[in-house]
Formats: sequence, C-alpha cells, structure tokens
Amino acid sequence: MRRAVFGAAPIGLVALAVLLLVGPGLAAEVDEEEVRRIAAGLRCPVCQNLSVADSPSEMAKQMRQLIRERLAAGVRPEEVVAYFTEKYGEWILLAPKPEGFNLLVWTLPFAGLLGGLVGVLLVVRRWSRRPAPAAEAVDPAYRERIKAELDRLDGS
Amino acid sequence: MIPEIGFAAITVALALACYGTGAGALGAARHRPALVASAQHAAVGIFVLLAVAMLLLVYAFLTFDFSVRYVASNTNRGTPFYYRITALWGALEGSLVLWTWMLAGYTLLVVAFYRWRQREAYPWVLAVLLGIMAFFLLVMTVPASPFQRLDPIPVDGRGLNPLLEDTGMITHPIFLYLGFTGFTVPFAFAMAGLIRGRLDEAWITVTRRWTVLAWYFLSMGLLIGGWWSYHVLGWGGYWAWDPVENAAFMPWLTATAFLHSVMIQERRRMLKVWNLLLIILTFSLTLFGTFLTRSGIIASVHSFTQGTIGAFFLAFIALVLLFSLSLLAWRADRLRGQGELDSLISRESVFHLNNFFHVGVTFTVLLGTVFPLLSEAVRGVKVSVGEPFFNAVSIPIFLALIFLMGVGPMIAWRRASWAGLKRNFLWPVAIGAAGALVFFLLGVRHALALLTLGLVLFVAATMVHDFWRGTRARMRAGRGPVGAMADLALRQNRRYGGFVVHQGVLLVALGITGSQVFSVRTETSLRRGESIEVGRYQVRFEGLEAEEKSNHFLVTGVFTVANDRHVMGRMSPGKKFYPQEQQPIAHVAYRSGWREDFYLVLGDFSRDGQLATVLAMVNPLVSWIWLGGVVITLGTALLVLPGRRRDA
Repeated sequence: MRRAVFGAAPIGLVALAVLLLVGPGLAAEVDEEEVRRIAAGLRCPVCQNLSVADSPSEMAKQMRQLIRERLAAGVRPEEVVAYFTEKYGEWILLAPKPEGFNLLVWTLPFAGLLGGLVGVLLVVRRWSRRPAPAAEAVDPAYRERIKAELDRLDGS
Repeated sequence: MIPEIGFAAITVALALACYGTGAGALGAARHRPALVASAQHAAVGIFVLLAVAMLLLVYAFLTFDFSVRYVASNTNRGTPFYYRITALWGALEGSLVLWTWMLAGYTLLVVAFYRWRQREAYPWVLAVLLGIMAFFLLVMTVPASPFQRLDPIPVDGRGLNPLLEDTGMITHPIFLYLGFTGFTVPFAFAMAGLIRGRLDEAWITVTRRWTVLAWYFLSMGLLIGGWWSYHVLGWGGYWAWDPVENAAFMPWLTATAFLHSVMIQERRRMLKVWNLLLIILTFSLTLFGTFLTRSGIIASVHSFTQGTIGAFFLAFIALVLLFSLSLLAWRADRLRGQGELDSLISRESVFHLNNFFHVGVTFTVLLGTVFPLLSEAVRGVKVSVGEPFFNAVSIPIFLALIFLMGVGPMIAWRRASWAGLKRNFLWPVAIGAAGALVFFLLGVRHALALLTLGLVLFVAATMVHDFWRGTRARMRAGRGPVGAMADLALRQNRRYGGFVVHQGVLLVALGITGSQVFSVRTETSLRRGESIEVGRYQVRFEGLEAEEKSNHFLVTGVFTVANDRHVMGRMSPGKKFYPQEQQPIAHVAYRSGWREDFYLVLGDFSRDGQLATVLAMVNPLVSWIWLGGVVITLGTALLVLPGRRRDA
C-alpha cells in the first residue's frame, strides 16, 4: 500500500512546488541529521560521483527535500531508502547492500588483510628461526685454522 | 600544414623510439657502445620532436585552428588566453603528448646522470625507457592523434570543459604527470637489474631520489586535485573516492610502501622480490589509472574525454606485467633475500606491517573501484561503491598506519629492548592520551575524531621528543640550540626529512578529520535583506549581479558576512552559465582561516534578484590540508639534499 502511495509521487516539478511551499513548515519537525545521514548514502543521479547530501545540483536538492518530506510524514528511514532503491535500482546506494554477491566487496578487503597478516607472520617466523647466515658462510677450513691459531695462542 | 608537421613529428618520434629500443637492447646485450650512443641520440631526438609537437599544438590553440579536432573540441573563440595554453592537457590526446614529453625529459636526465656512472645497467635502462615511450607514441599516432583533422571545419570550437578553466588546472595535471612518469625511472632500473641478473641494492640506491621526487610530485598532484575539487566543484569537499581519484591514489599508496620497504633492503638486504614487485605494481597502476580514466569504462568526473584507447592500454598493461613478472620468475633464484629477523618487536616488523597495510588499502581501493564492473559482469546489476564503503573500510587502516608512523622511526632495528621502548614511547603515549582526554573534556564526543587526535599527538610527540634528544646531545657538545638543530637535521637529512614529511601527513590527517567530522552546513532561500546564521557567522543577502564574460554569463549573489565580533565584508558566490553546458557551473566564494573556512555556494535565484538560495558551510581545519602540502614540500627538499651521512 505504501509503495503505491510512493509510486504516485514522482519527483515532478509540480509536486516540488507544493513541497517547497509547505517544506519549511514540515522541515522544522524533521531531524536534519537523519536527512543528511540518508542523503549521504544515496548517489546523486545526475552527478558523477557525489552523494545526494554533498551534491550542489538541483536534482540532489529535490531529493533531499523529498527525504525531509517523507520523514516528516512519519515514514521510517529504511523505507525512504527502499523507495529510492525501488525507483533507481541498487545503483543509487553508494555502499552496496551487504548481501549476496555484494558480500564479496565487503569481506574481501578484510579477508585479504587477514590473509596478508598471516602471510607476514609466517614470513617473519621463518626468518626469525632461520639460523644466521654468517654461521653457514664460514668456511670449515677457515674455522679449523682459527681454532688451530687459538690453540697455539693458548698453548704459548 | 601545421597539423601535418605535428603529426609527422610524432610519427618520426615513434620510429626513433622503436629504433632506440632495439639499438639500446642490442648495444647492451652485445656491448656495443656505438649502438647505445645511437639510442641516446634517438632519445634526444624524441624529446625535441615532442617539444615541437607540443608547441605546434599550442600554436593551433592560440590561432583557433578549428580544423584540428582536438582544438575544436577543447576551445572556442571565447576561451581566455591562458586556458588556451593549458587546454593542451585539457583532454586525452594533448595530455599524452605532455606525458610522453615528460617521460622523454626524465630519459634525458637519466642519460645525463648515469651514462658514465652506471655504465653496465645504463644501456638496458635506456632501452626500457625508450620501449615505454614507443608505446605512448603509438597511441598518439593510431587511436588518439592530437593532430587529427576535422572536416568540415566548424566556425567555432566546442570550448574547454568549464570545470577546467581554473588555476588548479594549470598545476594539477603537471604535478600528477610528473609523478606518474617519474616512477618509470625506478621501474626501468629494476628491469635493467633483472635482465642483467645483477640484483644488488644498486638500483635502489641509484633511483632513491627519483622515487622520492616522483612520489612528491604525485602527492602534490593529489593535494592540488583536492584543492581544485574544493574550490571548483562547489560541494565543499576535496575527495570523493571517485574512480579517477582512486586511480591516482593507488600508485601513491604502493609507492609509499616502496619508499619505506627499500629502507629495509638497504639496511638488511631483505624483501628483494617484494620491492621489485612493488615498483612493478606502482608502474602498472599508473598505466591502469590512465586506462581507467580514459577508456570510458567507469563513469567519473574526470572522464573528460574517452576514446578507443582502452584496448591499447589494457594490452600494454598485460605486456608490462607479463614481461616484468616473467623476468622476476626467471631471476627468482638470484633473489633469495638474506632475510633474518631477530625479534618481532623491531623496526623490521613495523616496516613489514607498514607495507602490509599500504598494500591492503591499495587492494581495497582497487576492489571498490572495479567492483561495479564485476557486479555488472556477473549479476548484470549496476551497483555503486562510493564514499560510505571506502571510508568504512579504509579509515581503520589509515589510523593503523598513523600509529605505525609513530612507532617505526623510533623503535630499534633488529631487537627492541624494553628499556628502549619505555624511553622512546612513555612520554609520547602519555601526551597522546592526555591530548585525547583534554579534547574529550572540551566536549568532543566523536570517538573516531578523539582517536585520530590522540594518535596524531602521539606521533608528533615521538618526533619532537626524538629531535629534542638529538639536539640536546649536540648542545652538550657545546653548540647553540639553533646550530645544534640545523646540524642534526642536515647531517641526518634522510631521517629528519622523513620526519618533516610525516608531520605534513599528520597535518593532512587533522585537516581531513576536522572537516569531515565537524563540518556544519545549511541551505536556505533568502529574500533580499534577509539573514541566516551558520555556526558563528551571519550572512545577509544583498542582491544579485550579472556580468557577461568572454565565454560565459556570470551571475553572482552578493552577501555581507559577519561573525560574532566583526563584519568580514562581502562574499560573492556565483553561477557560470556556459552556452555549451546544460548545467551552470558553481563559482564558490570562501574565506579561509586556520580555524575554519566559511564557504558559500549560490543555488537557485529568482530572475528579479529578490530571492536566492544559498548553501553555507563551515569547514573546520580544511586549510591544514594545504598547509600539510607545504610541509611535505619542505620535508622532501630536506630528504633529497645530498646528505653528508647516509643514515635512515
């Protein structure tokens, strides 16, 4: 039912004109932080890579107003987001929903970090256990000679 | 006729590059100095020919030669004089000319510096550099010729992208390209080392200054890009995790990792393969960045032009990776590190972690940037990966890196003792914690901001503490305080230059934290004479002014701004209407201060000038980011001074 109501409210100029007229009255009751939080998670459709919260474009301004109006009408934040997702597709969300295939983008960095950390630890452990190369590098004959010399010194 | 000469110059340069690559390689393999000398002449020839091509292109711009497509699509008769020159790198084709010319410039520097000093490696280095230039020249002749003719000749050009009509555009690309192309030099030395099978630390020592300089240029390119975004795009931000920003950021990250891990190789002969991988990765990522920006596969603010060059770049990246990684595999047996670690609590460990986090962020940024493509390919669904994702995943890693920045330079090589740790870190940790507490008591409740502040203070304190101890030791030896400091900084210029760069990075971190966390914004419609209050500022709308400029129509809103105590004067944000653009371009007005910037963007307005919408922002500490850039510059200057003592 709610969806039907949303569907009937296109971001048309007429609707907006009305919104702008009643907007200030409504906006007073809305938590601007909440508006900003929702807007920050949505992509401005006419910009290249800015959020609705940041974008200076007219479109983003209209969308912010729409969010404000929905919230004022008592619509829950996640439903406001759902409305935009319905209208524009998943693309509108600046952070992909962590479900299904999208889980990859959320988990791989941490998996990579964890794997890397294990890798670093393994390397570090191997290196800390490896005998000092200096010990291998000494020629046995040379060592014998040192020993002999030392013995000679001790003997004298 | 002029464009044909330009095209001919590029074609001849391509021929020279191909010849030079072959001659250099043959000369190197067969030890024929004459062939190497001939390749050297080819490099000089390319440099001159590209300079000629560039001048001809500028000439075409200045004379409005709209028969050249590149000129017609990037200027019109109204484009101001200076921007007709910078239009040279306003889009892909011209950028490539500038890029390759810089590469030729670096090659000549290599010729000048290493012809005699690095007699063995030098011919291979030359061959690799010429080979890379050959690729760029090929792109300039086949898919992206800057001199391509247009028929019929248009009466007027399309005009430069208005966003590029800005002073930031004069410097941003130059620094960025100097950075990108600069990494070709260490890459070429690394390849030369691999080909010859001589993989001592020589290539690193030889190329250290080049790498630092390239890193510096790239850092400045990124910062100037942020500044451009801040004062042109009209959204009060400087970084949007845009694909193209990411593309320039990734090589910066791997280069930063490289600059640190080469220190271990110099000191401890460790991480040989790793360092080669990092420089290969950095160089490939610079190419990948160009591919990402210019192929048009990803939408971005910077995709000012797109072409069919994607395939060329992709093929070249594949070739570079195949070539360099095969070489690496072939020489793997000679690259056994003399790795040896005495303790987990040592500078070596910190460097490992530093590298691991830098590469971790790079991987995250790469994944986030290409994920929309993956998603579309696999699921057929378009998704966006933007700021919320990148912030969530990368901020913890950056904080960890800041922490390591405090630990790394102070902890002992090989094995840190408990006493040493206490001596070096007790005070800094106390200062960091106390600072965070003070800010908490002052009313800062944002956990991330408090953590960042505490970490930044900790790191700054480690450096001040260390520098103070060094100074005191010299003062005991009878020097005055200033003399002692100067002596210390100059004698250990690598260490203290690095410190200064770190301080610059801390300033950038503070600026980012301040502006991200504590920014305040209000957007309202104002009638003439009405005021609003934003933070401690009062803004009154006084009316609109309009002005016809050479290539656009400018409407400015006039606002009088005051803060608590005094009138600050008028601020005039505006909107620029370009005939060739559907959307007007913002012309922001802002006042910068140490504490905060006050930033105004003009929104909609009524035609009679009685009503205007204005977006007012208070952005704390933004100018610290730019100050950080200045400090990084000073640090780099100290870092590349010919030091009296080689000490990390």
